[in-house]
Amino acid sequence: MSADPLDRSTPASTARLVRRELHSSRAIASVGTAVLLIVALLVLLFEALLKAVGDEPFLVDLEAAAAWVGTLPGAAPASLLGAGSALLLVLGALLLLLAVLPGRRPRYTIPNERAAVVVDAEVVASSLARRARVAAGVAPEQVLVTVGRTTVTVQVRPTSGVPVDADAVRVAVADDLRRSSVVPEPRITVIVAESGVIGQ
Amino acid sequence: MNTTPRVLNRLVLAVVGLLALAAGAFGLALLAVPAVASWWRVTAPRIGEGIDGVRGRTTLEGQEDTWLWAALAAVLLALVVLLALWIAAQGRGRTGVFAAVGGPGGSPPRPDDGGTAGSVTITAAAAEQALKAALLERPDLAGASVSTWELRGVPGLRVRVFPRKGVPPYTVAVEVSRLVEALDAVTGYRTPVLISISSGARVRFTRAERVS
Repeated sequence: MSADPLDRSTPASTARLVRRELHSSRAIASVGTAVLLIVALLVLLFEALLKAVGDEPFLVDLEAAAAWVGTLPGAAPASLLGAGSALLLVLGALLLLLAVLPGRRPRYTIPNERAAVVVDAEVVASSLARRARVAAGVAPEQVLVTVGRTTVTVQVRPTSGVPVDADAVRVAVADDLRRSSVVPEPRITVIVAESGVIGQ
Repeated sequence: MNTTPRVLNRLVLAVVGLLALAAGAFGLALLAVPAVASWWRVTAPRIGEGIDGVRGRTTLEGQEDTWLWAALAAVLLALVVLLALWIAAQGRGRTGVFAAVGGPGGSPPRPDDGGTAGSVTITAAAAEQALKAALLERPDLAGASVSTWELRGVPGLRVRVFPRKGVPPYTVAVEVSRLVEALDAVTGYRTPVLISISSGARVRFTRAERVS
C-alpha cells in the first residue's frame, strides 16, 4: 500500500469500479419487479384489512379466490388458465435469467495507470471506422464497423473502379485496437463488398 | 459508481422469478397432466380443511373471524415497506464533499501540519467544476459531466466524456487522466476516478471532427 495517506485510490478499488461499470446492475428490472409486487401486495393488504374488520371485500374476495384455486382446473376455461400459466412461466424464466446471466454491457476497459477507464463499444467502433475509412480512401458512409464482445467486423463498400486494399484496412484497424489496448482483445474481420458505389 | 445493491437485486429477482416459474409450471401441469390434476383434487380440500382448522383455533372469544387477518395485513405491510426500501436503495451514493480535514466528519489532521486548529472542506462542486471547465475547453469532446460518489467510504469522481465521432478513445483516456492528475496536484488528494467514455444522442447528431 502507498505510504501517502492522501492516496485513496488503490488497484483493487479501480478493478472493482471497472467490474461494476462493465456489468448491468439490474436496477431497472428490480424497480419494475418491486413496483408490480407492491401494487399486488397493497391490494392483498387492503382486502386483508377489510376481512380483519369484518367488511365486505372490495376487489378480490380472498376466501372465494382460495376456493377457486382449490377447484382448479375444474371451473376455469382451459385457454385462460393455460395463457395465464404460460405468462407466469415466461415472466419467471425472464426474471431468473436476469438474475443468473452476467449482463455484460457493450463496453470495454482501457488500461490506465491513474484511473479506471471504460469505453462504450460505439466509441471504439466510431474510432475504428475513421481509421478504416482513411486507410481505404472512401467516404464515411461507405464504411460500417460492428464491434461485438470478441469480434470486430469492418464492412467496406469501395468506390466504383477504385480497389480497396483489405489488408491495409486490417492493419489500420489492428493498430487502432492495439493502441486502445481494449480488454478483451477482439478478432478482426474485414469484408470488402463485391459491388462498388458511385463515390463522392 | 453508485451503491446499488447488485447482489441483493439478483437474489430478489431470482426468488421472485422462481416463484412465478413454479406457479406457471403448476398451472400448466394442472391442465396438461391428468395425474397432477387428480392429485390436486385430493390435496386441495385437505389444505382447505387445515386452513379452516387454524381459523377456528385462532378466532378469539366474541370475534366472528380469526385475528390472522390482522397478522396477514401486518406481514404484507412489512413486505411493502421492505420493497419500497429496496427501490430506494437503487442508484444511491452521490456525495457533496470531495475532501474534509478536521471538524466533524473530516479525517484527522496530518501530523506534519503543525497542529493548526480549524477544518478545511473541499466540496464536490469545486472539484467537479474545475475538471468540467478543463474538459469543455477541448474541441474533440462534445460534452462532459463530472459527479462525485461515495466509494467504500472515500469520495470518488466519475468523469463522463462524450467524444465527437471518430475520436480515438485511447487519446481521450490519456488526456483526461492527465487532467485528473492536475486536479490531484491542486487538491492534494489522489481520489479514485472512473473515466467513462460514452456515446450519447448528442454525439450521434453532431458532425464528426474533420481536423485532428
